[in-house]
Amino acid sequence: MLIINLITQEWKKNFRAKGYYNNLAVNLLLGFFGLYMAVILLFVGFSLDEFLENADNSLNPMELFNGGLLYILLFGLVLRFMVQQLNTIDLPSYQILPIKRSSLINFLLLKPLINPLNYFLLLIVVPFTIQSVVRYYDVSVGLRFVLSFIFLVWFNSLSAAFLKRRFGSGWFSIILIIGVIAGVFALEYFNLFSLFYLSKDIFNFIILQPMGLCFPLIAVVIVFLINKWFFSKNYYPEGFNKKMKSERIYSANFSFLDRFGIVGEIISMEIKLILRHKRTKSMMYVSTVFLFYGLLFYTKDIYANNIGLLFFIAMFMTGLLMYMYGQWMLSWDSGHFDSLMTKNIPIKTYLKANYYLLLTFNILCFVLTTPYFYFGSKIIFMHIVAFIFNVGVNIYLLLFLATYNTKRIDLTQTSALNYQGTTFKNFLIVIPLMIFPMGLVYLISYFVSMTLAMWTLTIIGLSGIVLRKPLLKICVLQFNNRKYKMAEGFREVGS
Amino acid sequence: MIQVTNLQKAYNGITVLDIPFLSIPQGESFGLVGNNGAGKTTLFRLILDLIEITKGEVLIERHKVMRNDAWKNMTGSFLDEGFLIDFLTPEEYFKFVGKLHHKSDTDIADFLETMSDFFNGEVLYSKKLIRDFSRGNQKKIGIAAALLGDPKLLILDEPFTALDPSSQIRLKRFLTDFQSKFNMTMLISSHDLNHITDICSRIVVLEKGKMVKDLQTNTDTLTELEAYFAV
Repeated sequence: MLIINLITQEWKKNFRAKGYYNNLAVNLLLGFFGLYMAVILLFVGFSLDEFLENADNSLNPMELFNGGLLYILLFGLVLRFMVQQLNTIDLPSYQILPIKRSSLINFLLLKPLINPLNYFLLLIVVPFTIQSVVRYYDVSVGLRFVLSFIFLVWFNSLSAAFLKRRFGSGWFSIILIIGVIAGVFALEYFNLFSLFYLSKDIFNFIILQPMGLCFPLIAVVIVFLINKWFFSKNYYPEGFNKKMKSERIYSANFSFLDRFGIVGEIISMEIKLILRHKRTKSMMYVSTVFLFYGLLFYTKDIYANNIGLLFFIAMFMTGLLMYMYGQWMLSWDSGHFDSLMTKNIPIKTYLKANYYLLLTFNILCFVLTTPYFYFGSKIIFMHIVAFIFNVGVNIYLLLFLATYNTKRIDLTQTSALNYQGTTFKNFLIVIPLMIFPMGLVYLISYFVSMTLAMWTLTIIGLSGIVLRKPLLKICVLQFNNRKYKMAEGFREVGS
Repeated sequence: MIQVTNLQKAYNGITVLDIPFLSIPQGESFGLVGNNGAGKTTLFRLILDLIEITKGEVLIERHKVMRNDAWKNMTGSFLDEGFLIDFLTPEEYFKFVGKLHHKSDTDIADFLETMSDFFNGEVLYSKKLIRDFSRGNQKKIGIAAALLGDPKLLILDEPFTALDPSSQIRLKRFLTDFQSKFNMTMLISSHDLNHITDICSRIVVLEKGKMVKDLQTNTDTLTELEAYFAV
């Protein structure tokens, strides 16, 4: 069948991509992460029965579970709307072949359904069914229970795709989503209306009534047809891959940077780069969430004497943006690297611009994390030392090591969870940057005192700041050495 | 202006470009022709220090090119879309390039005024990012940006492809203008033998990485080139 053919070709495209095997380390790492998640979900699945059995309620576990399904549906929809990538196809190569338009549409719509990620939650559902549902009812009910969940996944995936294609992912939809979530919360909170009983009744009906399963199936078919109708109305073949009209351009001009000359121009270009691409923007959003990371550690007494760990956290907090952005340092410029290398930009100026960008990030993070000063003089001390060390040592280290990033980043690819252009090196970079100072602090504070540890790092950091010129010079030499390797790697499209 | 001596570029031991000697004087319009894989773009990339020289050296105005910045302020170039910054609007990009050459906003505006014919009203004030333009218009933006810094040396790789016929004629006209007005050195590669014989005073034919012909353009040059490439 044609669709199967198209799907296998997509698989081949992935496995035969140039970077696939180079990138094996990253894929393995992500694979391990997936395995880890799977084990956790299985564990939840096997203990869910006992947990629900002990709940203070007269309903049986399956009814309780059904009560939660509408929430799962709703939040699944929201999550998918934000994270799920719209399926696209490399159309030009298929357009010229005699393939019917409707087959292509079917492919675009149905392919996401075979993504195994969709069925991850079955790792909870299936053990729960075997343990609990089958015990209360019988095997056929258990089967229907699982089927209804699969239909729910399909319904979710298809409706999210439709909503995303219809409304895009602009501000309007984000506000709408936040509104819906807030609404549901408010209704629950003020005891006005609970989805729980509605959800329980609906899904009990679906699972227990003989023809009940028809309803979710019909719902899936209807969403599928709506999707198809939308395509047939709005999409011409050349528009299949078109993203929603590009968002408003942030045309803020950073004229205050003008007085910094060429360095200022490059920095304002990099800021535009960050503001105009989804991947970099979502990185910034994630960073703001990470700003609260310190609360997990600074508030707990068990960590109070673990100086090494606390310093690690302090470094992470005060250098947050630098670490997030710096992992792919220089790779961000891969799309226009040739441009930067041939325009009138001395390498020293280019690196200086990157230096000041990272410095700005550090100052910004340091200021944003000042509320943590509330947790006492130890934290204040640590934050200041960490800031000095980040600025005095880690900026140069990053600039130096970033020359080993030779992967092109395709910024036009949009996704919240985009690891394109990531190699093992991106993770390795963090070790000398964070583990080494952490170890140093740990050792000195263990054998002598925390005060000495802090002063040692302060002195190292301050000497780094004083020695800015020669250190940058070393980075320039390193950059010139690696320049051709980088330029070559950045030119390689599509891995 | 440009001096190439014993230049060699090899990938995995296979030599793809081998030029014993090539000298291009100031103010010459130099055309490079050759079939695909002849090494035209490789030569340009070597001159622009984007790939590492295996052997030999390239000098621009007696400055070594390799790992050096001194040649950058007098060189304008456009080889492909990688020479653009595609998430900027054309205005922002021109401003960026202009500032790199220490031009004031009025200088840049004046320059763009001279380009308005070439842009044909499609490039400026459209509030689009460069990545959303068609290839032809991207090429126009790249060529204009290459000229923005009053370069003494201009390097263009196949500037005529993807341009519409009127734009090709306009481009030819103003390249000749610029060249005679500022005594600019031009390196242009093209597959279009007509265009290249029109604007270049010297034409070099590359084949498999070697210079096989070095012609001063005259009335017979076009016929000679056509005879050479005929199969």
